[in-house]
Amino acid sequence: MKFRFGHLTTMAIILLASGCTALPRPSTPWTPPPRATTQPPALPAPMPSPAEPAFIPPAEPFYIPPSAPPSVLAPSENAAVVALLQKSQSQSSAGQLDAASASLERALRIEPRNPVLWQKLARVRLEQKDYLQAENLAAKSNALAGRDQRLRSENWRIIGEARSKRGDRAGAKAAFERAERE
Amino acid sequence: MAKGKKILKKFLAVFALAALLAAVVGVIYLDQAVRERFEGKRFALPAKVYARALELYAGRRLSAAEIKAELALLGYQETQQAREPGSYRWRGDGLELMTRPFAFGDGQQEALGLRVEFSGGQVSELIRRSDGQSLDLVRLDPPLIGGIYPGKNEDRVLVKLEQVPQHVIDALIAVEDRRFYSHYGIDPRGILRAVIATASGDGMQGGSTLTQQLVKNFYLTAERTLRRKFTEMVMAVLLEVHYSKPEILETYLNEVYLGQDGNRAIHGFGLASAHYFDQPVERIGVAEAALLVGMLKGPSQYSPRSQPKRALERRNLVLALMAETDTLTPEQVKTQQAKPLGIVSRAPRGTSPYPAFLQLVHRLLQRDYRDQDLRSEGLQIFTTLDPLVQRAAEEALSKRLTRLEKSRGLKSDTLQGALLVTSTQNAEVQAVVGGRDPRFEGFNRALDALRPIGSLIKPVIYLTALQQPQRYTLVTRLDDSPLVLKQAGTKDWAPKNYDKQFYGEVPLATALTHSYNVSTARLGLALGVPEVMENLKRLGIDRELPEFASSLLGANELSPFEVTQVYQTLASGGFRTPLSAIREVLSATGEPLQRYPLRVEQKSAAAPVYLLTTVMQQVVREGTARALQEFLPADLQVAGKTGTTDDYRDSWFAGFTGDRLAVVWVGRDDNEPIGLSGATGAMSVWGEMMAGLHPEPLLLPEPENLERVWIDAASGLRSEQGCRDAVEVPFIAGSAPTESVPCNPGSVGETIKGWLERVFQ
Repeated sequence: MKFRFGHLTTMAIILLASGCTALPRPSTPWTPPPRATTQPPALPAPMPSPAEPAFIPPAEPFYIPPSAPPSVLAPSENAAVVALLQKSQSQSSAGQLDAASASLERALRIEPRNPVLWQKLARVRLEQKDYLQAENLAAKSNALAGRDQRLRSENWRIIGEARSKRGDRAGAKAAFERAERE
Repeated sequence: MAKGKKILKKFLAVFALAALLAAVVGVIYLDQAVRERFEGKRFALPAKVYARALELYAGRRLSAAEIKAELALLGYQETQQAREPGSYRWRGDGLELMTRPFAFGDGQQEALGLRVEFSGGQVSELIRRSDGQSLDLVRLDPPLIGGIYPGKNEDRVLVKLEQVPQHVIDALIAVEDRRFYSHYGIDPRGILRAVIATASGDGMQGGSTLTQQLVKNFYLTAERTLRRKFTEMVMAVLLEVHYSKPEILETYLNEVYLGQDGNRAIHGFGLASAHYFDQPVERIGVAEAALLVGMLKGPSQYSPRSQPKRALERRNLVLALMAETDTLTPEQVKTQQAKPLGIVSRAPRGTSPYPAFLQLVHRLLQRDYRDQDLRSEGLQIFTTLDPLVQRAAEEALSKRLTRLEKSRGLKSDTLQGALLVTSTQNAEVQAVVGGRDPRFEGFNRALDALRPIGSLIKPVIYLTALQQPQRYTLVTRLDDSPLVLKQAGTKDWAPKNYDKQFYGEVPLATALTHSYNVSTARLGLALGVPEVMENLKRLGIDRELPEFASSLLGANELSPFEVTQVYQTLASGGFRTPLSAIREVLSATGEPLQRYPLRVEQKSAAAPVYLLTTVMQQVVREGTARALQEFLPADLQVAGKTGTTDDYRDSWFAGFTGDRLAVVWVGRDDNEPIGLSGATGAMSVWGEMMAGLHPEPLLLPEPENLERVWIDAASGLRSEQGCRDAVEVPFIAGSAPTESVPCNPGSVGETIKGWLERVFQ
């Protein structure tokens, strides 16, 4: 009886858990996308006649609508990524910039489209005085940040700092203005 | 007469003096040779190359079969308890294992008892077995996938004398040199015994001391002459004069040849213990020690893998000899002789199971290291290879090519192919297949086959157009009517479409979706061939390329590796990252020498790449690559491009999902036609491989300066939502057409709504 009960509980947990995963997550550009269902392969679409022109948008949106911004406070739902972020943070404050960079790159292998990670890496490069890379990495973070204003504005500040260190005063000014506008 | 005698005497004295001098000089020379080699680095240690370490964390997609394959590659053994490092057992749906300790670049990771829970093809939880604590992230030790070897492909794991169990030394001395501790490098009694044995027809006997054997291996060639034997003896004595017995013994134990593993020569007891018993030398028993010592006489002749019976007899003889020297009692001999050989079964590794990937690693390393150092300093190279991806890639290529030959009635083994897989955002190379036999170490097509790329050039042309939003959008009308380009000095160029038809006026997106040649060529000419080629180089080619009108249809020859670099920049949204195969290099002692940090460089604004990618998704959804849906569900929204060259000589496919980019080439080495298009050949390899890799859907982050506008499909002019044939199209802000067409309502509902709106306006 007890065994049965345990069994039921497990079942319930599994059901609950699967129910949870089936719920649409708040879509952000970097959240791991829902697993593709393994449905039977669709038949090849018929060849459209040449007379049928134009760009035909897909049935499903192929972009991520700007919504729920990724938060710097909760940078990932993945515990491994959070752990690596914390590790890089402490390595960075201990002045171990190479190690901090390695930890961030390790996190990026797990979540390559997480703009927070790219931004942190840009910060580390800034501290390493690799200004060109800092600017490019911040731009990469921007490309993945969707409409998250806080992230974008911080990225523009990094770009501004990198430019001013490289002596590009006009470029820096423009970037800092963008940071304010975001 | 007296005078003559005097002269002779004098002459003899001078001669003797000269001879003595020559002998002294000779000995000094040999002495120097002996010391030089012994004082310096005694052994050249090959660089060790590792695959990526498998990261385990909750949420990682990993099937039980995949972790099994990884453990097999790592040589983990399935045991009852899974308490020894490098062992595991299955318990229900969970895997219990004890990881091996490993010194990573970021520090030592100790052995860890771990329980891994799986559910739904994912790791669901990691639990430390000692205290039930849940863990965030654990990495296994990285699989060793090869080495970069010294000239003779010698490989070894150095051991110190203190590490070597006494019974190994006992066995060695009993068999090879019983008076080792008392002689001075040579053993007159041993020589005498050898001479008598040889003379009495008992066959050639060594009679060499361990010191002499070491001298022979270390300093001399294999020739067998009296003079060489004499030199060997002199050097042996000199070695003993300068160095202690333990030093000589330790060097001997590390030097000796103990077998072959493909191209790799197994040297020393350290590597031999790992190779034959999967144990460090400290842990091998008496019987194992006797087996290795017995093999010294002839490692292939007495190989326990290929000649188990002979090896067993030889081992038992060694054990018996140990009784003669009183290092074993007769009872111990009996017990040990009854034991099995205890060899771990492992397929021969050769130099590497992944020669094509290793070639890439070697080439990248040669930019930063001297070849000599790579082959001797014992560097540890940590690479990006993912053996699970590599295996899927190898299998898909060889299986598909065989199937294509059968179904198309081609002669078997005539098709060749190459394939690379990378991660889209980090540009790490996860797999390289250089031909349909992935173990073949010769021509690496992935890196070195230069072939015309055909329509794979087209996305570059369309990107060049979309980078000028005031001139080109997705709905810009292109001219697909017959085209003849007349140029002085060359033949007229009249490109044709794949199906020999002309399509008149076509929207830009449609021309790429169906890979129309004529409208694309005309577009490229309008943009300028040099501009297109400049863009190609910016995206990923670091050499000069010829610029012809035919370049617009892919006449230029690129390697699959180069194509991968170009498409990598597209897949990562316009950011170029040099394809990387190496993460880190450590010294033999584990000190970090070099990291290869992640670098990105923005090569295109994000929005044009975004627009291009949406069309490349349309290529798969309804264009030339729509048959890909036989392999992958449509909701993955793969972006890709097919490529076919003249007379069907080359079949290409380049495409990416949310997490991986792969480029496949199929063709023949002699460049003869194969009768396959990009879609029928290379794409089937791509699809089959990706289907086995749990691809992530391609969800594009929307760039900031983008807007969506309803467009009338027939005219390409502005329309409104709800109008007939109105489609929503992305545009770079401000580039959408301003001219509108009158709205033809699309449905009854819309009509009523429209009517009401008009009434109440």
